[in-house]
Amino acid sequence: MSDARVETQQRPASGAALLVMVGLGILFALLVALLTAAKTHSGPIYGEANMLYAALVLYTGAAVLYMGYGVTGIERYVSVASFLTALGFVANTAAVAHRWSVAGRPPFSNMYEMLLSFVWTLALLTLIAERAYKVKIIGSITMPITVVSVILMQLLPSDVRPLVPALQSTWLQVHVTLAMLSYAACALSFALAMMFLIQDNMKTESFQALTSTGMVAIYASMLFTRFRSGGALAVTAYDLEGKSEVMISRGHPLFLRIPDLGWLYVLVLLSALVPLVLYIAGQVKKNSSLFDIASKGMFITLMLQAAGLAIFITRVKNGQYGAPEAEGLYATALPANPFLLAGIVGGIVAGLLYLLLLWRREGLQKMMPPADVLDQVTYKIICIAFPLLTLMIAAGAYWANQAWGSYWSWDPKETWAAITWLVYAGYLHMRVTRGWRGRRAAWFAILGFAVVIFTFFGVTYLLPGLHAYAAG
Amino acid sequence: MGLKSIWNKLYQTLTSVKTGIFLIIVVGIFSAIGTIILQRPTSEPEDMQRAYSPETLALLDRIGLTDIFHAWWFLLLLTMFCVCLIFVSVNRWPTAWKMYSKPVRFAEPPFRAGLPQTVKIPVQDEAAALSVAERVLTRFGFTPERVTEKGATGLYSEKQRFSVFAVYIVHLSLLCIFAGYIVDGIVGYRGNIMVPEGQALGQISLRDNKGGESKKTLPFLIRCDAAGEETYADGSPKKWWSKLTLIENGQEVATKQIVVNDPFVYKGLRIYQSSMGQSSTPKTLTFLAAPTNGGEPTPVEVPLNGKATLADGESLSVLRWVPDYYVQDNEVFKKSDDAENPAVQLGLTNASGETKKLWILYSQANTTKGQDAPFDFSIKSATWAKFTGLEVSHQPGQFGVWLGVILIAIGLVIAFYTQHMRIWAAIVDDGKGGKFLWVGGTTNKNRDRFQLKFEQIKSALQAELGGQPGNQKTEEKTLTRA
Repeated sequence: MSDARVETQQRPASGAALLVMVGLGILFALLVALLTAAKTHSGPIYGEANMLYAALVLYTGAAVLYMGYGVTGIERYVSVASFLTALGFVANTAAVAHRWSVAGRPPFSNMYEMLLSFVWTLALLTLIAERAYKVKIIGSITMPITVVSVILMQLLPSDVRPLVPALQSTWLQVHVTLAMLSYAACALSFALAMMFLIQDNMKTESFQALTSTGMVAIYASMLFTRFRSGGALAVTAYDLEGKSEVMISRGHPLFLRIPDLGWLYVLVLLSALVPLVLYIAGQVKKNSSLFDIASKGMFITLMLQAAGLAIFITRVKNGQYGAPEAEGLYATALPANPFLLAGIVGGIVAGLLYLLLLWRREGLQKMMPPADVLDQVTYKIICIAFPLLTLMIAAGAYWANQAWGSYWSWDPKETWAAITWLVYAGYLHMRVTRGWRGRRAAWFAILGFAVVIFTFFGVTYLLPGLHAYAAG
Repeated sequence: MGLKSIWNKLYQTLTSVKTGIFLIIVVGIFSAIGTIILQRPTSEPEDMQRAYSPETLALLDRIGLTDIFHAWWFLLLLTMFCVCLIFVSVNRWPTAWKMYSKPVRFAEPPFRAGLPQTVKIPVQDEAAALSVAERVLTRFGFTPERVTEKGATGLYSEKQRFSVFAVYIVHLSLLCIFAGYIVDGIVGYRGNIMVPEGQALGQISLRDNKGGESKKTLPFLIRCDAAGEETYADGSPKKWWSKLTLIENGQEVATKQIVVNDPFVYKGLRIYQSSMGQSSTPKTLTFLAAPTNGGEPTPVEVPLNGKATLADGESLSVLRWVPDYYVQDNEVFKKSDDAENPAVQLGLTNASGETKKLWILYSQANTTKGQDAPFDFSIKSATWAKFTGLEVSHQPGQFGVWLGVILIAIGLVIAFYTQHMRIWAAIVDDGKGGKFLWVGGTTNKNRDRFQLKFEQIKSALQAELGGQPGNQKTEEKTLTRA
């Protein structure tokens, strides 16, 4: 995989060639989809399924062109990519609108719908960041994430499920909308803070350490929650006909064990840990040759992670496994473990972005706005995120008051949302009253986003709590 | 002397933003710990015992880490945070108030020198220059007023002076929210109650912070007139509803049909639909009465607390219902409340008032055959009473919280979307017999955007007055002498 990438780099790609290829690819995919839709009557053309597919095709084209811009720096890629993103956004909006009208409520009630709203918001923010803040390179980060999310969506049950009583509330819709918007803004501020660090000439090995830490965190969390004695990995059992998870009792899904997969991920974890250890050793011993070895180690862990993904997909798709809490063999499926999958894919995406930085740092730095502009824009995005976070917490408290009898129960999800709020309040105070700028502010923004990730994923999967709806 | 210096040190610490940040960090860390370690108020005791070994659990209990959010030291931290907020705001308030109430309308030379955005344009006609400045500023959305001091006339314009209050509104709102929370901590309470259909109850079980339970009597009785559940096709719950009537001092005072997310609010108490269940006590039992000397068995429906009349005039009632029975020393006892292994004692009363007691021990045999009665009874079916699970809460402080939320929304909008911009203009002597139009401005935030705006004003002025901006450095010296 790595060899192929190096080759594409060395061969000078002509701007027109890639544009034509992408254009033809999109037209082909859309044409095939149109014909299939006409043949199989998969709903109206403007319906959710078809519009989402169109959005996927357009976003993929945009992602390819943005990545191409990241690699080659050809300006034309960005303008076409931006146009494709806008078209995809229109299709995405049509999909959201159709689902909303069919379900009678905005799409926020399960993982499929949350991803649908998330990709819509991400596309919107990409367009805003490009037009209002002139940060053109942002698409090369946001669009691949969007494409991966839409692909993940295809695996999830998409039928409109009716809501259980506690979720039938307008305040829930308000709360979740605000959560989506504020977390997206926080994600954007994270991307901008990372770009600031690149422009501020933070050493590439420091980025390697950051990426390694992220990978280690992902695999450590996975193993912490899913490693079972004997080296098996616990995954949720899935009923392929009913298209839902198999539950032992209310709120308790059945876990089955895939043997040896646990050991594989221990291996992956170690391979991600080695570059981090080498970095620390290099810092302590002031030996920069260790950094070179570490970046080669990143290569190895990335390949192992890709292999891990492939093995995960194959084992999940073909196999029946035993479950300790029930007799017999059960099947599982990719939709049953969306966060496991998202974690693995996320680690790979982070690794690829690191490699992009490693190989094309100068080119990237020429394409990005200057460091002080990025610092300012990070601050401005957090100025948008913070009020949204505040209102999200308030709406959540009001909903809890209507549904459960109290506006604040120190539930883990509530508490971590408050901690997130405190961190961003800290950022604003340090910036406004203590004059923190540059590196310190960027690190604070990155810390804030790490807390957001924990609030969104960690609380659900690492801590038990009241907010168990999204896991279903 | 010593006391004064202690007070000064304390005052310095309390009014420092660093202290506030420190408190935020400490509160954050302990809150995080409170989510990682299972907390007693939100966990079942069995879960806690399963998660930690007995020694660990005892240690955690002793240190207080199993109920952090109600621990006295955590509440003290929150209180200190509020105190710090108060001190920080009170300390800086006079400056903000002065900014608001006594704006600097005339720009004196030292003040002029200190402004970040300035421009000087040579002019001939004083009055005309000021008019031009007025016109240009108006064009850019400012409303300049003429200010005369010590014989000199200048211009002063500002926008959104109230922007200086943003921080104080936000801090005040946080204090409101904390005040509401503390009030609820002192006088508020929450508990739950299960009310079977048809019954009126008035005691709730309060969740104790130690994981135990205590009871509290409500000022009224809650009667469940009816309750129901609707499910979707796949069996998941769609709607839980209860029709409730409140009885105060023997009188029905209010009634409402509630569902989840739509509580019943009465005199500061909020009643929520929390869950729905089926009672292990039936509402009615239907028996088949087969005459012992032959004949068709006929069904008889007996309500649990009532009686039914049989064909021969006798009346049948249910004397005892045991959901889960066991027999010991020829007596029937209740093993549990789960309707797993029922037994029914029937009472057959004849015309003269004598009651014959008959037992049906369902798992042994569903009949009273052999118990010497005119009929053989067997259980045919039962209808079950529903009970509605209600959560009752009294949290008067919530109004402080909602007020605080509204205030913080206003405060944040002012903080992030308004800015106090000020622009002055004056005619200045250059010391060489000529005159300059001096224009200067400042803002409290969004300096880069203000700079852009100022540049536009500068260009417009230069276009109208046709002059070159003088060399800044030499002009500064002249300025201070003038």
